[in-house]
Amino acid sequence: MDKIILGRYLPGDSLIYRLDPRGKFLLTFYFVGIVFLANNVASYAFLLAFVLFAVYLSKINLGFFIKGLKPVFWLILFTVVLQLLFTPSSHPIWHWGIFTLSKEGMVIAGYIFMRFILIIFISTLLTLTTTPIEISDSIESILKPLKKVRFPVTQVALMLSIALRFVPLLVDETTKIMDAQRARGVDFGEGGIIKRIKSFVPILIPLFVSSFSIAYDLAIAMESRGYKDGEGRSKYRVLSWSKRDNLMVIFMAAVTIILLFLRSY
Amino acid sequence: MEKIISIKDLNYTYPDAKHPAINNLSLDIYKNEWVSIVGKNGSGKSTLTKLIDGLIEAESGTIAIDGQIINEDNIWEARTKIGIVFQNPDHQFVGATVEDDVAFGLENQGIPRDKMVTEVDEALKLVKMSDFKKRDPQSLSGGQKQRVAIAGVLATKPQIIIMDESTSMLDPDGRRTVLNLVQQLRQEQDLTIISITHDIEETELSQRIVVINDGKIVQDGKPVEIYDLGSNLRKFGLEEPFTNKLISTLGDKLKLPEGYLNEEELKQQLWKLHSIM
Repeated sequence: MDKIILGRYLPGDSLIYRLDPRGKFLLTFYFVGIVFLANNVASYAFLLAFVLFAVYLSKINLGFFIKGLKPVFWLILFTVVLQLLFTPSSHPIWHWGIFTLSKEGMVIAGYIFMRFILIIFISTLLTLTTTPIEISDSIESILKPLKKVRFPVTQVALMLSIALRFVPLLVDETTKIMDAQRARGVDFGEGGIIKRIKSFVPILIPLFVSSFSIAYDLAIAMESRGYKDGEGRSKYRVLSWSKRDNLMVIFMAAVTIILLFLRSY
Repeated sequence: MEKIISIKDLNYTYPDAKHPAINNLSLDIYKNEWVSIVGKNGSGKSTLTKLIDGLIEAESGTIAIDGQIINEDNIWEARTKIGIVFQNPDHQFVGATVEDDVAFGLENQGIPRDKMVTEVDEALKLVKMSDFKKRDPQSLSGGQKQRVAIAGVLATKPQIIIMDESTSMLDPDGRRTVLNLVQQLRQEQDLTIISITHDIEETELSQRIVVINDGKIVQDGKPVEIYDLGSNLRKFGLEEPFTNKLISTLGDKLKLPEGYLNEEELKQQLWKLHSIM
């Protein structure tokens, strides 16, 4: 579980860390959107340069980002090969049955590959430099307008932050249950896929039971500390939008303009 | 002395249970007192905590907190006077960091942020955890987590702190630090402490011990009086204090005074015997 980089926070300090999480969150989504505007070598190269520049600013080793590709490696490979072999073309280089290899196919496969790299790098950058709690605070802040239609934004945000807070505890709990089962002779790494999945049932049930008992204890503790229904609460953590966040938005706008220019070039 | 909690003829039975968990119980607790409520598992001591804090509703009887009988309308106000530290430190941590968790109770009361910042700092200072402010709870030891839980409770300035088996999951070191801290806070902040435990050894610092069995109070007195019950404590499912056991074992061979001795007194007596020999 330790090997998954995607979605993990890496403690550190740099300009990217200090940016307002709301800005980072929204601009990451924005960037993922504009990646689909790129349509030629120049525009992809430009976006890659931008992402690498952002990685450089974060002062995080590029290796972390490359490791972040691991869990989706097969997905990337599959998509790229698909594009490579199935793109229809009037001048195929090689042809066999339903498979066609062409220059156009290679170019499109290259673009798809670049899209994956860009999107994964930028979202890894967000999660590596933003704590889960900052992300949940940003979501709360961004969804605030929904309060008008009676959507319980603060409650949902608190639920989200408690869920995040209890992830490590539940991981501990799972390890404990697995150890207890192992001590009684269960082997989790053996047998076919069906057998392996089956052996997880005896983990899930005790895990559910203990999650409920933790939830009950927590609810009692929260009530005893005066938690009513989320209304009239003040907030201890505050997000502050500063000059550098404005600069980031301006920078992003400039990136978009250059991209649009390169696109029609 | 002024009564801070006054319980009269309280009854409570869990749904589907045959026997009442609390059976016609009456108890007065005075300001600045440290009362230990002891009893075996299932004796009703934790149920009593939940009733006092209004987390469950009694069938009959009344509970008055600071002179006011609690009911549905004033329970939230009463709760601000009571802070509870629960047994499992991991199951009461709401915040993602130490400071967030301490602030939780203050956020619930809608305290403005500037005030919260100073109050969180103060509360952490009282439990000597200021250096851990930004840490995530998973990186703390059990004793440290309970100290943070105490800070979270202190931040809202309660008059009563209930320790519901709060030291039972701690190692001896953590337990000693937490209990000494509670003692110090009781004196400095004029707090009333109710500690709930099944371990008689943990009652040493308290001024009064109430023994509960089957939802009823069976003994109520100064620690020395309760410890003097000796093997009678077993009737209530409790262990005798360590020194009692030692004295009764040594009693066959050595001449030791009657009655309860704490560790220090016992040591003195043994030294005396040593010098006679």
